[in-house]
Amino acid sequence: MKVKQGLKISKWYSISEERTGSGGVDTNIVCPVSVSVTVCASVEMGGSWSNGNNRNTRRRNSYHEHYPPPPPPAYYYHYSSQPLMPQPPQGYFPPPPLPHQYYSNGYTPPLHNHHPPFHATTNTQPSDVDLNLNVVQPLPLPPPPSYVDHETTKKVRNDVNLHKNTLQLHLDPNNPHHHLISFDFDALFDGRITIFYLAKEEEHKCRFVPLFPEAFEPITFPFEKGVGQKFCQPSGTGIDLGFFELDDLSNPSPEEDEFPLVICAETTPLEDHETPASSLVDASPHMQITQAVLEKIDGNAPFQVKVIRQILWIDQVRYELRELYGIGNSTAPDFDRNDPGKECVICMTEPKDTAVLPCRHMCMCSECAKALLLQSDKCPICRQAIEELIEIKINNGDDQ
Amino acid sequence: MANSNLPRRIIKETQRLLSEPAPGISASPSEDNMRYFNVMILGPTQSPYEGGVFKLELFLPEEYPMAAPKVRFLTKIYHPNIDKLGRICLDILKDKWSPALQIRTVLLSIQALLSAPNPDDPLSENIAKHWKSNEAEAVETAKEWTRLYASGA
Repeated sequence: MKVKQGLKISKWYSISEERTGSGGVDTNIVCPVSVSVTVCASVEMGGSWSNGNNRNTRRRNSYHEHYPPPPPPAYYYHYSSQPLMPQPPQGYFPPPPLPHQYYSNGYTPPLHNHHPPFHATTNTQPSDVDLNLNVVQPLPLPPPPSYVDHETTKKVRNDVNLHKNTLQLHLDPNNPHHHLISFDFDALFDGRITIFYLAKEEEHKCRFVPLFPEAFEPITFPFEKGVGQKFCQPSGTGIDLGFFELDDLSNPSPEEDEFPLVICAETTPLEDHETPASSLVDASPHMQITQAVLEKIDGNAPFQVKVIRQILWIDQVRYELRELYGIGNSTAPDFDRNDPGKECVICMTEPKDTAVLPCRHMCMCSECAKALLLQSDKCPICRQAIEELIEIKINNGDDQ
Repeated sequence: MANSNLPRRIIKETQRLLSEPAPGISASPSEDNMRYFNVMILGPTQSPYEGGVFKLELFLPEEYPMAAPKVRFLTKIYHPNIDKLGRICLDILKDKWSPALQIRTVLLSIQALLSAPNPDDPLSENIAKHWKSNEAEAVETAKEWTRLYASGA
């Protein structure tokens, strides 16, 4: 029996302070994939950030072998409604993962034409609390050593979050052929939302440039802080998508950093006189970028929005939001010991609370995860090599 | 008693196997050893084993679920991946075992193996050779053995 020295379980705690009032800000669980990531991230946060392009080159050359995330399965975009870990039927396991690229770079805030304030309606239904759990992987990832000590993890708070499952495109009833955006979002601070169509990210700096500015100028709407808000793009500010080829709208070019639909939600720092000194720490601008494609099943059907990825830009560091497979409600207080989808796949007794990286299968309890490491380095669900285990304690808070 | 320290997982698996058996599969634990199961698998339709009832034994070793169950055919069967001692050549029982697999999934995999013999990864060289050289004849032999040894009598 071999013992994997040094592969430890990091503990993440979801962040109760993120949740305010009766609504819920999505709980984002954030953790570097390895200790080297943390070092890298802290260097960037310290401001020594002059050689970003060189680092990019190095990472792009070496990254694929080390961090192939799995291909999005069918439930990828709907994991909260299909929370269960797929029970491996008849010895079947998912196909091997596809490579994926990560980028990072510095940031300069974009300047765009501003429109009248958007007044959000706040949804105060506690039942709408959405405990989305996302793994956030910082993008500046050098290839990690195979097995390193994961003593340090980094937790970042996401000040603004667009619920990607709610993103929709509607026809403007007052302007035939014009399309409007709507989605639900949470914001801990005031800020603004900018909508781009067919936009390219410049130099991986979270700065977006429309490829066809003559067809649609980026459009910005201010928002006020609040959780459980619904954003509905005002009538008359939409876009006639007839200008674009359907193929252009449905095909992203991630390698070119071009996406048919890009939504930037950013918080803006508070004015001094409004802010108690203690909260200034948290008031640095955060940006969440949602990149999506627009698909039509057939020529007459309405456009379907499909989110390809979400990126966080916090303190000059890029993070990609990743979901955990099988997290469901496994750690909810009403854990049902007889629900096969919520229990640890190994002991079938305790609730799942530990996820495997990089494959992101949340499938074990922490005790079984430790026991597993004594004799295997493979994920029980997909057999991909375990590079790190993360234990996730969901703090449901007292504010319900 | 040997059953006093039975892990909860084994108890749960047993309960679920008994309350929701997989189609064509039955597994029940032995009374004096809850880690030993008597298994019956019906030959899949449209396979040479159709109409047969195949008895197997399944044993959960001490390390289970970190180690695979030990499974063996007790009924004689003509299959390129099953030898004359009833041992089964199936990757998930060997190096591809995962603790996320269960008794149920193992038995379903064995049932699927009956539907899809794989003579390229044989356990019985002679049967595999037969299968590759004259599949129709090998299938006839498998049907004959099913009638002779697995008729459920």
